[in-house]
Amino acid sequence: MTDVTNVTMRLNGETRTAPASPETTLLALLRDQFNLTGSKLGCDAGDCGACTVIVDGKAVNACLMLAAQADGRDVLTIEGLATLERLHPIQKAFEDNASLQCGFCGPGVIMSAKALLDENPDPTAPQIRDALAGNLCRCTGYAKMIEAVHDAARELRAQADALPGHKRRRAGGEMESA
Amino acid sequence: MPRKVRVSEKSRRTTAQAPGSGGEISRVPSVTPPVAFPIETLVPQVRLQTPAVGQRVTRPDGRSHGLGQTRYIDDLAFPGMLYAKIKRAGIAAARIRSIDTREAEAMPGVLAVLTGFEIPVNSFGPSLQDQPVLADQRVFHAGDGVAAVAALTEQIAAEAIEKIKVDYEPSPAVFDPLQALREDAPKVHAPASNIYETQVIRKGDVDAGFAKADHIFEGQYRTQMVEHVPLEPHAAIAAWDPNGRVIIHTTLGRITLGRADVARTLKLSLNRVRIVATIVGGNFGGKNEITQEPVLALLSKKTGRPVKGVFTRGDEFTASTTRHPFIMDYKTGVSKDGRIIARKVRLVADGGAYCSWSETTLGKACILSTGPYRIDNLLVEAYVVYTNKTMTGAMRGFGAPQVCFAYESQMDEIAAALDMDPLQIRLLNAFDEGAASPTGQVLHSVVLKDSLLKAAQRFGWKEPRS
Amino acid sequence: MRAFELVIAKDAAHAVALLAEHGPSVKVLAGGTDLLVDLKSASNVPQVVVDISRAADLKGIVITEQGLRIGALVTHTEIMRSPLIRELFPALADAAHTIGAVQTRNLGTLGGNLVTCVPSMDSGPPLVALDALVTIAGTGGRRQVPLTGFFAGLRKTLLKPEELLVEIVIPSENLGKPADFQKFGLRKGQALALVNAAASLWVDWERNVCVAPRIALGAVAPTVIRASTAEAHLDGRAITPEAMAEAGRIAASEAHPITDFRASADYRRDLIAVLTRRALANAYARAKAMREGKNGD
Repeated sequence: MTDVTNVTMRLNGETRTAPASPETTLLALLRDQFNLTGSKLGCDAGDCGACTVIVDGKAVNACLMLAAQADGRDVLTIEGLATLERLHPIQKAFEDNASLQCGFCGPGVIMSAKALLDENPDPTAPQIRDALAGNLCRCTGYAKMIEAVHDAARELRAQADALPGHKRRRAGGEMESA
Repeated sequence: MPRKVRVSEKSRRTTAQAPGSGGEISRVPSVTPPVAFPIETLVPQVRLQTPAVGQRVTRPDGRSHGLGQTRYIDDLAFPGMLYAKIKRAGIAAARIRSIDTREAEAMPGVLAVLTGFEIPVNSFGPSLQDQPVLADQRVFHAGDGVAAVAALTEQIAAEAIEKIKVDYEPSPAVFDPLQALREDAPKVHAPASNIYETQVIRKGDVDAGFAKADHIFEGQYRTQMVEHVPLEPHAAIAAWDPNGRVIIHTTLGRITLGRADVARTLKLSLNRVRIVATIVGGNFGGKNEITQEPVLALLSKKTGRPVKGVFTRGDEFTASTTRHPFIMDYKTGVSKDGRIIARKVRLVADGGAYCSWSETTLGKACILSTGPYRIDNLLVEAYVVYTNKTMTGAMRGFGAPQVCFAYESQMDEIAAALDMDPLQIRLLNAFDEGAASPTGQVLHSVVLKDSLLKAAQRFGWKEPRS
Repeated sequence: MRAFELVIAKDAAHAVALLAEHGPSVKVLAGGTDLLVDLKSASNVPQVVVDISRAADLKGIVITEQGLRIGALVTHTEIMRSPLIRELFPALADAAHTIGAVQTRNLGTLGGNLVTCVPSMDSGPPLVALDALVTIAGTGGRRQVPLTGFFAGLRKTLLKPEELLVEIVIPSENLGKPADFQKFGLRKGQALALVNAAASLWVDWERNVCVAPRIALGAVAPTVIRASTAEAHLDGRAITPEAMAEAGRIAASEAHPITDFRASADYRRDLIAVLTRRALANAYARAKAMREGKNGD
């Protein structure tokens, strides 16, 4: 394709379509077409992580994907975490721990944390650091973010355990009954 | 019920047609409605708590940040908004022979081009107004803006600035501040000297002090240029209202100063300039003065539309202020028990291409250069020099971190040479309540020794290292 | 980015046909972690970009007759997590883990890492240390070359414009060969290597000597290189700390590190000696553990 075509994706749980020219990045599509400005442009080169979103379950830099590459895929942005009724536990933990200052890196960090906790419900501090290594922050020094991820992990595990008949996945990947 | 989103054919066409361009530009984004979230205003409870000290504080903006709902400047859009890009010189020192913008102006989607000649008063700065809004006659560093473009999309603007041809006559440049100090060095802002600020502090008699000292220590310490790297690049949007007022939404921190600079460069009375600052994505001193605001204002005036400009990450390094590199020469005379008797300091601050906040930086560095130590004989001579490099300005600490590195490094060296505990030598020399700073200010609430002792106890200074 | 035409390849054969059709200035998009950065800064943008990221036959990690076959589109995250690679070639998984950060590892591919061919690439040394081969597909068919030969120069490979790297193969005789990867960067994450190194060796336990050692160095020459003089020193020699340290020193003298804003050549030479010695020591430790695993319980 040479010109503007439609890109269709499952975006924050809804099927959505927007026009995109081939050279449009996923980040530009999210910000300009869907007005989802939570994902930020910090460097446009995949270094700072401010544009982190989750595509097909994996945290990626939206500035390093062409919009067309997201066609047919599942995309989760920061705007897809909270509902009208409640914050996502990660967002709540970040708020309670005062983990963000200027806030610009926040959405990217929270998305990286979400991707981590989706896979590893009980991460160690080194594992959290590894998961957040692609997100730069100039304000906070990261310490309170790591505490917040610990808190969120604990809360998410508690919520999962509270579900009847729930099978909890242990950190290694094997299933066990709650 | 998810809202249906349809890209309106009509809206795409009207925004896509550039006046007089004759062709349809199909890469123009359309704006769809934002996601609605219940934004709760949290009332900070901390002021209602007594005592407030020791209470848990929740930041009132934390919720919005975590939701991704905080609107920074680049998240704002206005109907009909255009995008601006600034062409950077790419050469450290030169005379501008000519600027040819015709090819850029003719590009479809380009609505206006601007050069420095069109700026009513082409100079600004917090103390010395030595920085051009856009370089017109001379280029002083490679990040200097030499022309700007407003276009329908950022990409068109980026391509257009590449089509602007600037004819430079390169001139000798100076990059090393020690070289810049010399009379025979190229003069950055000729005919003025490269030394644009000098400060001297004298107390007692250093020569007599050195004569009395048992040991003399000399060393040179250097710190490097540092860029703030706020996660959010500099961004601004300028628009005019029908009453001839310009409204600029900007990441600028010092908005009253910025307002004055915009009024001055655009030759407007102050009451016709409105600056709106919002939540900023990191400043650290790097957003303390105007950068592109007058440029965007003039582009907006030319086009009749709001104009947004966002720095690239590259611009942040070359065209925004940085921390002053310092070259610091310390000569310290001590008695054999480690008491500092005399200290002589020479500070050379690399002042980059423009003064910016160098005066404040040099002042603070000077006063703090001898350290929090009681010294009867002092001589501090400090200079800031122009070099053809990115301008150095405010960055947290304003000269304090640099000199701290120097005097604390030397303190450790002295302790090692005298076989003294680095903590003991500091306790021996540290300020007490009522001590005077080098400039004679009497200091109160001096808790230096207490802090040192408490800290040493807390992290086990006395314990043997494993 | 400037405008370009984007065509999507369904599989490897289609990709090759598209490359041939669209000519020499075409670019290949896999993970995009290098290409998109390039396209954003380049003033010459190709007319056509061929997106191969959806070609399923370029994925997959399997044992074949030839050995362990890794599809060019396998991402660094997939390498880190592959049970086969973790069992047979953990050094490659370790190396993958040091690349960039989670986001770039989820997108970036092994093939892309090899084709971009920067001197400091992290996937190169462990593959070179295991005598890896690469398969190249063109309109005339497929050919296979040793990875060391594939690296032609600074940021240059043997690939012709119409050719595609399709897979990486580690020969079956090297599966399970004890190996280790070492990297030194200015940070622990998102860091280019100042120096990286990989070593592999078999051990003749009866004579306790080293057999077929390989030492591969990165970031100290225009391409990843083998320290063949250091290898020769170790081959058939008793494996002692002194021998490994000496191999490290010899390896340092075989390299041509440069001085740049990250480090001086001297510092890099020091690093080569240390990292080589550590890689050898760890490879030897793995060999011992493998042997004990076989003989014990």
